[in-house]
Amino acid sequence: MNQVFEILGFLLIVLTLIMQWEINVQRIIFLFAASSFIIALFLVLLGLSRPQEEYMLFILAGLTIAVRGITIPVVMNKALHRLYEKPWRVREDKPMLGVGGSILLSLVLIAIGYFIYQNSLYSILKVRSGSVPFALFLQASLLIITHKHAYIQMIGFLVMENAVVMLSGWVFGGLPFIVEAGVILDLLGLVVVSSLIIRVRERTILQEGISSEAELRG
Amino acid sequence: MNQHIIYLLPIFFSLFGALLCILPFRYMDRTLSVIASVLTLSSAIYLLFQPSYINGYFYIDGLSKLLILTIAMVYISTVLYSLPYIKHLGNLLFQHRLYYFLLNVFVATMFFSVIMDNLGLIWVGIEATTVSSALLIATQNNQVTVESAWRYVIIVSTGLVISLIAITFIYGSAGTLSLHKLLLTHPDNRVFLIGILLGIVGFGTKAGIFPMHTWLPDVHGKAPAPVSAIFSGVLLPVALYAMARLIQIYPVGTVRLFTFILGTLTVITASLMMTVQTNYKRMFAYSSMENMGMILIGFSLGGYGLLGAVIIIVSHGLAKSGVFFLTGDVLSRYHTTEMRDVNSLMQRLPRAASSLFIGSMAVTGAPPFAIFVGELFIFSALIAQYGWLMALVIILFLAIAFIAVNFKTGKMIFSENEKIKREKPHLESWIAIVNLILSFLVILFIPYFELLLKNLL
Repeated sequence: MNQVFEILGFLLIVLTLIMQWEINVQRIIFLFAASSFIIALFLVLLGLSRPQEEYMLFILAGLTIAVRGITIPVVMNKALHRLYEKPWRVREDKPMLGVGGSILLSLVLIAIGYFIYQNSLYSILKVRSGSVPFALFLQASLLIITHKHAYIQMIGFLVMENAVVMLSGWVFGGLPFIVEAGVILDLLGLVVVSSLIIRVRERTILQEGISSEAELRG
Repeated sequence: MNQHIIYLLPIFFSLFGALLCILPFRYMDRTLSVIASVLTLSSAIYLLFQPSYINGYFYIDGLSKLLILTIAMVYISTVLYSLPYIKHLGNLLFQHRLYYFLLNVFVATMFFSVIMDNLGLIWVGIEATTVSSALLIATQNNQVTVESAWRYVIIVSTGLVISLIAITFIYGSAGTLSLHKLLLTHPDNRVFLIGILLGIVGFGTKAGIFPMHTWLPDVHGKAPAPVSAIFSGVLLPVALYAMARLIQIYPVGTVRLFTFILGTLTVITASLMMTVQTNYKRMFAYSSMENMGMILIGFSLGGYGLLGAVIIIVSHGLAKSGVFFLTGDVLSRYHTTEMRDVNSLMQRLPRAASSLFIGSMAVTGAPPFAIFVGELFIFSALIAQYGWLMALVIILFLAIAFIAVNFKTGKMIFSENEKIKREKPHLESWIAIVNLILSFLVILFIPYFELLLKNLL
């Protein structure tokens, strides 16, 4: 089973890499939906390998498909349709990294994730390829940092959450069902609220351009 | 009455208020929010005299009860202040009833976070505060508020993902997320330790702890006054509550030292940033950050340090919300948050000006306010554990913060301009004054706080 998990983990990393160099927002949303389906498959397989918890994990897989795989992408897509006349043409105008740079940096991050895991956590966790969720987490952070488009930043955050689901399942056998369900509900609420904020934000920027005052200092 | 229900009353009343707020009747939202907040405060006071309640679902001890009380007090004052304030705000993003709905839900999620026994559900509650409060920041629809709401969502949620990883580690190593079980077993292994440390960093993002604090000044600086007040007064302490629980379940030297360092760096950063602020709301936001740093130091020290931290939580919650209400008053008259454009406040609004001066003294820890007493407790524990030198370093930065805030506030208040005439004060400034008085009166209840926290000291 571990090898199957490794293949799924590898697929998730590849999908995130593609998100990294893709500039079309709608395609990035579809890629996220695809990665959520992989997470659901992962949960089903995890359930099969743990007969004592299989029903909870199957329910969780169903929730993941319903919320992360379908509802969240649909909500984001609808928000895109409301905001833009041609939503299929919405893109990141000025990505901070080119395709070459993003691939290189992503590979470096995968290597860093592997190095940190092997040299610190592996001796404690004893899980082979446990670095995959960490690499995914770092990739998602890169997605947030290197993009200015709010939808892509949101997707980066959602990929991070997917990485946590994978980490908890792969390395620790999952979180209690009530917590996982709460996390999914929170996620759904967050996406709905964020879509509203993003819609207002993009509409204002489209109408007025970015004002110098809006460049917050932190 | 069933014992369960008594402990759930604060959540029940705030949620009940929220749900009824969306009914399309005139003034229903306002009236119900006031009723809900009054009932919530009454139940919070009643709870204070009930025994601790720990049953596998809920973990309500003295610390939870004091936080419930603080949330309830800031809640009622925020609702009362919002009644006239929101009415006069232009260009709202949504209807009034949605504002009150979100405010009530926000308060309910904070109550949820401080009563749960399960660390995972505490995380769910704290993340839910982000969901319910993000739109409140953008109540006034303009590019800057919307941008700060977005920054808040993305930075805080990313930070909270770190604490979710932490919870995964804790569950993976201890096999439970129940606070009372973790306190009984005190698991001791490296995975657990990593989980605790990651949790402190993750929840620290929400509490405005260095280095993940960057959302805080933007949000406090741009949100409407009542929202800044409730954020600063109780949202930050709710996140600190989760950190306090993490320290409580694994009170080893590494965790304490790590938290102490984060707290100290937060105080240093906030104090230095306060000296260069030109925007009064941002300056008070950094002052909140400085107070959160001191509270974290108190938690890290434990014993009387923890008592001091709790005194600061209650007193700061009341005083800082009062100060933010007053900044709302100033903003509504001067239409700017830039300090250079605000002058002769004492001539124009003597009541608000004198209250603001007292408030700024209170939040910077001037005697005889309760924050000063809380800091004294923290320093007594600090000197015992880290010596005089460390205490002097922190005192130095507190002094910098004290001078920066009071000098700048004083300049706004006491500068003179013959052309400026006295104006009729807003009635709502009384809410700020009541909060400041209550913040001072906290001193009288310190022995009772000690009694409530005796199992933690």
